Amino acid sequence: MAAKKLRRAKLPQELCERLSRYQITTCQDFLCLSLLELMKVTGQSYRNVQKLLCQVSLACAPKMQTAYEMKVRRSVNPSSAFLSTTLHSLDEVLHGGVPCGSLTEITSPPGCGKTQFCILMSVLATLPVSMGGLDGAVVYIDTESAFSAERLVEIAGNRFPAYFDSDEKLFCMTRSIHLYRELTCDSVLKRIKSLEEEIISKKVKLIIIDSVASVVRKEFDTQLQGNLAERSNFLARGASLLKYLAEEFSIPVILTNQITTSLSNGLAIPADLVSPADDLFLSEVSGAPGSGKKESGCVTAALGNTWSHSVNTRLILQYHDLPTRQILVAKSPVAPFSVFFYTIEKSGLVLQGSEIYPAL
Amino acid sequence: MQRAVGSLPLGPALRARLAAAGFQTAQELLDTGPCGLSREIGISKEEALEALQVVRQECSGDAAKTAGGAGTTRKCTALELLEEEQAQGFIITFCSALDNILGGGVQLTKITEVCGAPGVGKTQLCMQLAVDVQIPECFGGVCGEAVFIDTEGSFMVDRAADIAAACVQHCRLIAEAHQEEDHQKALETFSLESILSHIYYFRCRDYIELLAQVYLLPDFLSEHSKVRLVVIDGIAFPFRHDFEDLSLRTRLLNGLAQQLIIIANDHKSAVVLTNQMTTRIGQSQSTLVPALGESWGHAATVRLIFHWDKSQRLATLYKSPSQKESTIPYTITPHGFRDVQPPAVTQNTESTEMNPRKRPRREEEK
Repeated sequence: MAAKKLRRAKLPQELCERLSRYQITTCQDFLCLSLLELMKVTGQSYRNVQKLLCQVSLACAPKMQTAYEMKVRRSVNPSSAFLSTTLHSLDEVLHGGVPCGSLTEITSPPGCGKTQFCILMSVLATLPVSMGGLDGAVVYIDTESAFSAERLVEIAGNRFPAYFDSDEKLFCMTRSIHLYRELTCDSVLKRIKSLEEEIISKKVKLIIIDSVASVVRKEFDTQLQGNLAERSNFLARGASLLKYLAEEFSIPVILTNQITTSLSNGLAIPADLVSPADDLFLSEVSGAPGSGKKESGCVTAALGNTWSHSVNTRLILQYHDLPTRQILVAKSPVAPFSVFFYTIEKSGLVLQGSEIYPAL
Repeated sequence: MQRAVGSLPLGPALRARLAAAGFQTAQELLDTGPCGLSREIGISKEEALEALQVVRQECSGDAAKTAGGAGTTRKCTALELLEEEQAQGFIITFCSALDNILGGGVQLTKITEVCGAPGVGKTQLCMQLAVDVQIPECFGGVCGEAVFIDTEGSFMVDRAADIAAACVQHCRLIAEAHQEEDHQKALETFSLESILSHIYYFRCRDYIELLAQVYLLPDFLSEHSKVRLVVIDGIAFPFRHDFEDLSLRTRLLNGLAQQLIIIANDHKSAVVLTNQMTTRIGQSQSTLVPALGESWGHAATVRLIFHWDKSQRLATLYKSPSQKESTIPYTITPHGFRDVQPPAVTQNTESTEMNPRKRPRREEEK
């Protein structure tokens, strides 16, 4: 939108030529100037410049919709508003499941089940709408090389034995999961930029990036000068691209993050405790294998503050008493804090207190 | 009429020619007439006529100002302002503690900024206010409409519908308790559909769209004159990445603030902005401060900071021209933004030192 050329904003031809002599060719350049500068550059009077500003703004501004229109649109197509996770209590609390059109983050210490969750969601997205899926393809961007196709088939076969009763159906499902291995930040960003065309051509209904944190933390050492700003820049750019894709195509985007322990000379940094879910960490982190007694450090989701603002929903996975783990809804515009216990079985994640997902 | 030619809002080339030809005051221009002007400066008759029309408009505006006419001037006595302010409505937030520390609610014609960590409830408050601004006057509201400019994509229609339904229910209970006729009539038009249809939603994906939308906002508000609330959810998000030139950012933000102040005053509406928190690394510790820098702090008239204390959400009034700094607890329920139910907390009004540079006020009573 910003890079829209002034020609397409329906400005008169001679004006565009005159402006291009001052290197003002896009709407962005035009709107960033002050009124006096615009008068100098266009040679027009104050009132005319204001009219031109309105015209250029009209070319850039978003369309208005009322909240009612949005609601009607959503209710016309209710199944497309969420992707059910088949974890029944979690779906209830989230008003349906992982929301379409926004970013959902799964964060946890290593080994809790992030990748398992992602693989489970990939299977679910390929299911037909009648079974609660989105009947579409999945783009899976894997930065840790943790995706295992065998596990994918195992989960599918065990969770929906009645549906995946033939090899044919399994192959069909695996064909619609597109896996990309990206190992640097740059390539991840390039891949995200190229996704717009892929989504249209392959009818993609779910984007998974596993994991954002590993590739970012490899390349940006926040102890070094200037890296913090660059990292925030990269994350913000990635987040806005993904948000654009999520909203434009009304699809869910799932990202995974890591947990970090910020040790700080014995002083816990109160700044990092941005939500009570982080406090829960402090009290329950002793369950994590290999962490021993809690020392002078506090545990938070990695990637910093800016990233926490960018994601709309945050789910935290944690160890409880092995093999039970817990899943917390830490940030969600529709759900309060809730905790559920689960275990990892052959069929993927299974919530405790619910029977094994009934065969269809 | 003695206005200097150089100060007239004409194009710079035209002004240069006028100066070269020796014109000094606006009166001279008007006396010369379009034909004479076009001959002397060497422009076409149409251009000369246009220039004279601009001059005439400017001068009549000036004359009105010097004669003390109403409309373009903003001159009035403090008494008139006092009467205006007292008659003005507030937009209630349904959290009586928050309304109290704000002096009644979110004030019209002022810019209120809400800062907070992610997930603390800023968007919830914005959605609550977008619903509350529509409450009819007989129930204590301002009966207006709302513009919601969303830059982060965090507006959830279903959640807004829940909040609206709870508000309608609340008003219905009041109407039943009071049994007055105008309450019943107001309830007929105050329904879920009407509330949602009067929330005008704009989704701005980057700062250019935001700037463009704010330029177009005055025209929009003139068409929809019942709008009493403009919410910009996430003023920080589009400005926090892809900006190498920080001075450009400051300039754009200041321009934005100015335009919002004009909009708030001209259209008698409240402007509510939400801001993010950022970590400032100090020598020995790092603190959370509102994003967008120090100079942005001057833009808002009233500043609220939402934060956590263990698992309790707190709101601190950080900057206000008329109310004292204080902190109150609040909670988010399925019905929206609400008070914490008593008897839990005694008001914690001592300073949670958010700004070590401000002298904390001492409590005289209590």
